[in-house]
Amino acid sequence: MAAGTTTIAEAAERQRRLELKELLQKRYRWIDWKWDLVFWVTAIFVVAGAADITKQLFAGDWDFWTDWKDPQWWPVVTAFATIIIPSALQYIQWAAWRFPTGATYTSLCLFLAVWIGRYFQWHVAESYPLNFVWPISTVCAGILMDWILMKTKSFILTSFIGAHVWAIAVWAYNYVPLAPFLQPAQFMDHVLTVADVQGIAYIRSQTPEYLRLIERGSLRSFLGETQYVSLAFAGTAAFAGYWIGQCIGRYLAVWPIRRYLKTH
Amino acid sequence: MARSHTVQKLLRTEDLRSTTVERPMNPTAWGVGWRPLFWGCALVLVANTFLWFWNYAFMFTAGLNSASWEFTLYYRTLFWGELIIVGVFAGLWFGWLIRTGREIVDQPCTRAEEVRRVAILWSLIGVTSLSIYIEASFWPNWDGSWHQTMVRDTALTPTHIPMFYFFFPLSVVLAVGSYLYGRFRLPAVYGKGKGFPWSFFLLISAAVLECMAVAANEWGHSLWISEEIFAVPFHWPFVIYGWLASGMFAVWGETILHLFDIERAEEAAQPEAALEPHVAAD
Repeated sequence: MAAGTTTIAEAAERQRRLELKELLQKRYRWIDWKWDLVFWVTAIFVVAGAADITKQLFAGDWDFWTDWKDPQWWPVVTAFATIIIPSALQYIQWAAWRFPTGATYTSLCLFLAVWIGRYFQWHVAESYPLNFVWPISTVCAGILMDWILMKTKSFILTSFIGAHVWAIAVWAYNYVPLAPFLQPAQFMDHVLTVADVQGIAYIRSQTPEYLRLIERGSLRSFLGETQYVSLAFAGTAAFAGYWIGQCIGRYLAVWPIRRYLKTH
Repeated sequence: MARSHTVQKLLRTEDLRSTTVERPMNPTAWGVGWRPLFWGCALVLVANTFLWFWNYAFMFTAGLNSASWEFTLYYRTLFWGELIIVGVFAGLWFGWLIRTGREIVDQPCTRAEEVRRVAILWSLIGVTSLSIYIEASFWPNWDGSWHQTMVRDTALTPTHIPMFYFFFPLSVVLAVGSYLYGRFRLPAVYGKGKGFPWSFFLLISAAVLECMAVAANEWGHSLWISEEIFAVPFHWPFVIYGWLASGMFAVWGETILHLFDIERAEEAAQPEAALEPHVAAD
C-alpha cells in the first residue's frame, strides 16, 4: 500500500516536472525577454522609492548622520524600517517565480537610490562630506534573509530566524564603516567620539541636539550590554516589520490582481 | 457615431499595418510598444535635471528669505509654472485619452494591437514608477539635507516646490492617465463592465494620499514641531503612500495574465504560427 502510494506520488511528481519543463521551454509569439527586462528595470524605481521613503521617515535621522548612529536606537529603528519592503518583495518574487531574491533585489535598489541621494543632495548640493552622511547598506542582510527563505521555504520560519539575522547583519555589516568614527577624540577639553566632533563641526540649525537626547536613555545603565540588549530588541522589531512587509506584498500587491470594486 | 480625425488616422494606420505583408508589425519591438517608455522617462528626467540645476543655482541666493523679491522671482514663479504645466498636461492628455478612447473602445482590434497596447500600458506604468522614485527618494533626500540645515519661513521652500508641487501631482496624473489608457484601450482587463480595478485604486490612492500628506506635513511643521526630524509622526502618511504604490505590481500581474490569455487565443487560432516567436499576426 505504502509502496503503491509512493509510486503514484513519484509518477505525479515526474509528470509535474515534465509539465514545468515543457512550460519553461514553451515558445510564445509575443511574450519575450523584453517584458522581463522592462519589468525588472522599471520596478527598480518604485521599489527603491518605497524602500527609501520607508527608511527615511521611520529611521532617516539615524541614517543621515554618523553621530546619530548610536548603540541604543539606531539598531532598533533601522532594523524595523529597512526590513519592511524587502519582506514585501520577498513574498512577491517567491509567489510569482519561486525566486528567493526579493530582499536582495530590494536592498540593491535601495543601495543605489540612497547613494544617488546622498551624493547629489547631501554632498554636492549641501556640501556635507560623505564620511559624515554615508548611508547604511542592507545588501548583506538581504542575501542572508533570502538564503534563509530558500532553505526553509517558509515565511514563518524566515520571519523568526531571518528577522533576527537581519537585525544583527544590518548592525554588524555597517559597524565596520562606523567603527572609525567611534574612536575617541579630544575636543575643547572633552573626550568625544570622532562622530560627535563631526556633529558639532557641521551646523544643523533645524535638527535637535542628539547628544542631549541619548543621555536620557535608561539603557545606558546597562553600560557595555547596551548594544546587545538593543540588538535583541531590534530582532523583535524586525519581526514586526517583516510581517508588515508580508501584508504589503500579500494584500496590496498580489491580492488585488484581477479583483475589482463593483461600481454598478 | 462620427469618428474624430485622430481616431480615423489611428484606425487607418492599423488597417495599413494589418494588411501589409512585407513589413509586419512586431508590437513588442523597442520602437513600437515600448516607445512611450523611453520618451516618457526622458521627459521626466529632463524635467528633474532642470529642477535640480535650478535649485542648485538659486536656493542659497534666492531661496532663504520668502519675503524677498528674489524668492518671488525664482521660486513663486517656479511654483505657479509647475502647477500650470502639470495642469495643462493633465487636461490635454486626459482629454485626448477619453475623447479618442470613447470612439475606439468598442472597435475590434487584432491580438497584435492588443499586445502593443499592453506594452504601452507597461510603458506608462514604468514612467509612473520613475516619477515615484523621484518624489519618494531623490527629492526627499534634498528635502532632508535642506530642512535639517536651514530655518524655514514658508511652506513653499526651495525643495518643497519641485517635490510637492511638480512630482507629487505628476505621479497622480501619470497614475490616473495610465488607468484611463487601460480603461478605453484594454477593455478586456479594465473595461467599464468589470468595475474599478483594485490595482489602480491602490496606485491612484497612493499618489492622491501623498498630496494630502503634504497638508499634514505643513500643518505639523507650522503648529507642532518646526524642527525637521524625519521620523516624526506627521511624516508617516508619506510612508503609507509608498506601501500603497504596491498596487503597481497588481497592474503588472493582471496584464501579464491577460497576455497569456492572448497567447492562448492566438495559439488556438493559429497553432503553427504561434510557435514562431516575434512574428506579427497581422
